Amino acid sequence: MSAVGTVEGLEVWFGPRRAVAVPRLELQPGELLVLVGRSGSGKTTLLRSFNRLNECFPGCQTKGSVRLRFGGGWCPLYDPGIPVTDLRRRVGMVFQTPNVLPTTIERNLALPLRQVLGVPKAEVSGRLAQALAEAGLWDEVKDRLSAPALSLSGGQQQRLCLARALVLEPEYLLLDEPTAALDFRAAGRVEDLLLKLKARHTMIAVSHSLGQARRLADRVAVFREGELARVLRREEIDDRAAFAAALEEAF
Amino acid sequence: MRRATAVTAWCWASALVTLGGVGVLVGFLVLRGGKALGPGLLFGSQPLWQALTGRVPVWDGIWPAVAGTGALVLLAGSLAVPVGIGAGLHLAEFARGRWKRVAGFAVDLLAGIPSIVMGLFGFALILFLRRTVAPTANASLLLAAGCIALLVLPYLIRTTQGAIEALPPSLRLAGASLGLTPWQNLVHVLVPAASRSLSGGVVLALGRAAEDTAVILLTGAVAQAGVPRALTEQFEALPFSIYYLSTEYRNPAELERAFATALVLLAVTGGLLLSARALRAAARRGREAGEPS
Repeated sequence: MSAVGTVEGLEVWFGPRRAVAVPRLELQPGELLVLVGRSGSGKTTLLRSFNRLNECFPGCQTKGSVRLRFGGGWCPLYDPGIPVTDLRRRVGMVFQTPNVLPTTIERNLALPLRQVLGVPKAEVSGRLAQALAEAGLWDEVKDRLSAPALSLSGGQQQRLCLARALVLEPEYLLLDEPTAALDFRAAGRVEDLLLKLKARHTMIAVSHSLGQARRLADRVAVFREGELARVLRREEIDDRAAFAAALEEAF
Repeated sequence: MRRATAVTAWCWASALVTLGGVGVLVGFLVLRGGKALGPGLLFGSQPLWQALTGRVPVWDGIWPAVAGTGALVLLAGSLAVPVGIGAGLHLAEFARGRWKRVAGFAVDLLAGIPSIVMGLFGFALILFLRRTVAPTANASLLLAAGCIALLVLPYLIRTTQGAIEALPPSLRLAGASLGLTPWQNLVHVLVPAASRSLSGGVVLALGRAAEDTAVILLTGAVAQAGVPRALTEQFEALPFSIYYLSTEYRNPAELERAFATALVLLAVTGGLLLSARALRAAARRGREAGEPS
């Protein structure tokens, strides 16, 4: 299968510190690539280089190229003419701790729909219902859409964040330890959702849980001290002993 | 354990002292001026409705001062609030490096200017205008409002900047990751999230505008001017009336009126606080009714 994303000679610097270096990495369509490695090994920085969110931090400098396929064509993400806001719409992101907007459940989705996609008012309720259903949250919130989003449980908040990303109909999803702040059960629900969503979105996820990586990943990219050390294929992930050995080496 | 008890006791004592202070102050004012409260204090011997609508002039009541202070606060607020909030947002979101330091220092400098100096500035400005482009320029409501606006500007800027900068970075990142432009993120995510602190800053500034005496003393407040009718005319104001009555009273009744006037000023600033709260609650209800703007 031909790749839908390529990273070549990527280096991200924050001031004098190099946060991550990835000589070469390809994304396959519809795969879930899981990034693992110790804290500070550059996983999140690589993740954020796919929606150029590193630029929201002071002193960030990105070298090399990251390209993603949108529709039929390739988009070099770091070309000067690329509209960053449109890129971020097409590459959705869910963060480690649920970061719902401090407003109502409904407005969490209506705001990006209206402001980013420019969806007419009449269409908002239908589309947000669909996104909430995709995130497995509709039945729990349909009767209290005007309740504050912060009144939801942690797991529900995280699924709301997922719905908020999905409502913009992204082609890619970036997940930064999406279950790290959740209890076992809520984490399981989010994992199930991700497996379901894989059919329509190419996903990149950071995970600290090797068990989770094994359950979810099509491939696992192992990071060590700010560099991509190696990429494990599904066969290597399935072979428990080989997987453990490969990770042992990396950690 | 003992230290914890001491800290708790200290906190309780501080809270009680504050509460006690307010209680004693209000109690003293009520005791000294309570008897003078009533329609007569506001409108003198004039019929209430006609005085209220401005059809008859009020000479022996403080209604013109109430109206003057209202006009002053409204005018100063409409000058200072947009500029103050805008500058605060700029400092919090867009200003960087050296420029941010320089601009921030200027704001602190402005905050450090005593109000009497601000009054002198307004006074000097009038003298300058008279000698140059506008020979008929005079101390007026507009001049006083302008100087008051300058006086309260730093409060607005700093509270706005502080409120926005205190928001968790994750919120800023959430908006950006959704594809909101920095401007949309500011207007639709950050400002609503900080609205409580922002309205707090506005109320503080308006309260300060209502109570300041030194500035208006030199820039347009007089003892007898009637209800304000034009921006270019002199006006009456509550703090100035209190000052005037309490220094120039001729009998105990007039001193009593000074205390009663202080109570009225307290009620005006208290009313400002309550109406700001009500506005905020209404705004929140509007947002929560699911009306995405």
